[in-house]
Amino acid sequence: MSALQFLVGVLLPPVTAAVLLVGVGIRVRTWYRAPIGKITLYPAAKGSSHLWTGVAKEVILFRSLWGGDPGLWAAAWVFHLSLALIFVGHLRVVTDFPRLWAAVGMGAQGVDTMSAWIGGGVGVVILGMGLYLLGRRFTSPAARDASKVEDYVALLLLLGVIVTGDAMRFLSHFDLEQTRAYFYGLLTLNLRSMPDNSLFWLHFLLGQILLMYIPVGKLLHLPGVFFSHPLLRWE
Amino acid sequence: MINAEQRQQILDEVRGINKGPRALMVYMDICARCGTCAKVCHVAQANPDRHTNPAVRADHLRALYKRYGTLSGKILGGLVGADNHRFGDDILEEWARDFYECSGCRRCAQFCPVGIDNSLITRKGRAIVHKLGKTPKYIVKTQDISDQTGNDEGQSFAAFMEAVRFLREEMKEATGRDIKIPVDKKGADILFVPASADLISFPDTQIGSSMFFHVAGMDWTMSSAAFDGANFGLFSGDDAHMKRKHKLIHDAMANLGCKTLVIGECGHAYRIAKRMAPGFWGTLPYQVTNILELAAKFVRSGRVRLDPSKNPMRVTYHDPCNMARSLGIVEEPREVLRACVQDFREMTPQGAENWCCGGGGGLAVMDGQEGVGLLDGTFLDYRMKVGGAMKWQQIGATGARYVAAPCSNCKRQLSQLMQYHKSDIEIGGVMDLFAKALVW
Repeated sequence: MSALQFLVGVLLPPVTAAVLLVGVGIRVRTWYRAPIGKITLYPAAKGSSHLWTGVAKEVILFRSLWGGDPGLWAAAWVFHLSLALIFVGHLRVVTDFPRLWAAVGMGAQGVDTMSAWIGGGVGVVILGMGLYLLGRRFTSPAARDASKVEDYVALLLLLGVIVTGDAMRFLSHFDLEQTRAYFYGLLTLNLRSMPDNSLFWLHFLLGQILLMYIPVGKLLHLPGVFFSHPLLRWE
Repeated sequence: MINAEQRQQILDEVRGINKGPRALMVYMDICARCGTCAKVCHVAQANPDRHTNPAVRADHLRALYKRYGTLSGKILGGLVGADNHRFGDDILEEWARDFYECSGCRRCAQFCPVGIDNSLITRKGRAIVHKLGKTPKYIVKTQDISDQTGNDEGQSFAAFMEAVRFLREEMKEATGRDIKIPVDKKGADILFVPASADLISFPDTQIGSSMFFHVAGMDWTMSSAAFDGANFGLFSGDDAHMKRKHKLIHDAMANLGCKTLVIGECGHAYRIAKRMAPGFWGTLPYQVTNILELAAKFVRSGRVRLDPSKNPMRVTYHDPCNMARSLGIVEEPREVLRACVQDFREMTPQGAENWCCGGGGGLAVMDGQEGVGLLDGTFLDYRMKVGGAMKWQQIGATGARYVAAPCSNCKRQLSQLMQYHKSDIEIGGVMDLFAKALVW
């Protein structure tokens, strides 16, 4: 185990987890405790079940953005959907779901093939969308005027994670078993082996920086939309 | 130019955002700066410039809040959007211009993917400008007149009674009937409060409302102490003024013993009566409704005879921001109009997505540029060339000869806009047309 591996693979993960969870927790708690003013925007939902359907439409389908800027809607929606799929796919790096695969009648080989196609495809798509979102910060006057250092930092960080992830998949040999053993060891405080893929370490480092960035920067819109949209749509 | 003390005051106010309200706090944290707001803002569309971009305007507060009000901003600075690049000596002049170029119409909120309502940020910015004494003179003057006389037009009791007598004579001349405008009638069911501008500048709206109460057989009254619902405290961010002004109406309800408060064609008055008043005094011991809602219900009941051929010209409807987006009054005025006019034509877009007239947020009363720093030209120029540009196109596309706009601010802005373009398109209210269509 090199010093760098120790730093990124052993020392940093608990810090990342703490910054992410405590940081988001503090922000959410502060929002939650703040007094609410009535700022209903119509058309509004009547009753709480309608309200949450409306909020779900915003969070899952980006309904408002569809009306405001259909081009951006397409890119942003695909980008965020890819993020969600990638999040789900990454669960396999930590654990596996043999019962699920058995239930749908998939063998180990089938799962790997599916993962390669969907994971690989999404990896390419999100790279394209990420580059588009970065590009429009230079070409769209509305986005260019609004953009600040923070916006480029967040996007470049995301792109860094995406590029190293894609490179790991397409340009190197990624050993799933080895990586899973490492994460299992990390979670059970019983580390035995470390992945020997240098792209993995770069990807993991950038990924952790991204996670730590969530509670301090604009990515707070992840928990934030669950507060902002209900405030507007509550009758 | 600001001094050290003012600088400190601004920072204290900005830091204070971390005490709430919740929406404003969340808005400081979550903007993705995607630029969608600029694409749907009438100001940014008509004058695409960095300073008119709503996200850039909001950043006046956001960058400072992050820089001075959050730990992460103090440590990470620009990496998390925290900076004081624009915190220069003429910051107040810049804020006065930028926060008063925004009419707070909330159209951007309708399309923002992360659910930010920039009007809250604008109002907070204006509130800070107000505390530091830099509110544009027109707004300050209107508030002062209102504090002295109880109404924005500065009418005395005698002038009010004279206006009431005049309107009664007008109605007698037009219909041959004695239609009363009861004043200070104790125990009446309804207290009716329009914007006082309706009594002077747009009397046909007041006439229409009075005739409506008459034919609907409602027991109503006006109050000589509270005949103006307009309230510039909403615009200046001066909460104390807003409460003080609306208390006149709240007290009149108690003194006259009325059961229902009916607000006239004034969007922001209705918003305050309906949304803000319960925040001041808890659950209100009376109902609050609006003349358009009552009129729509009455038209629907079929108890009134209306003849659309009396309004043969093409009519379109402008949705005032407060009526449509802030109160959900979209269908009611249309129901009334369809029953009262022969040729009704919708604007595109309409309802909650309609464009602002350019006179919202108190802008309608601002003609010169006193107190508005760094503004290029007068405020009237700005309202005609920039604020009203989208509306002018939109009205033109309908081919309408009459624009119904149930809001005194919209009416003033649109009337000036027609003058500016040397157009003879008529601007008026919804109730004006109701009165003309009535069959006695």
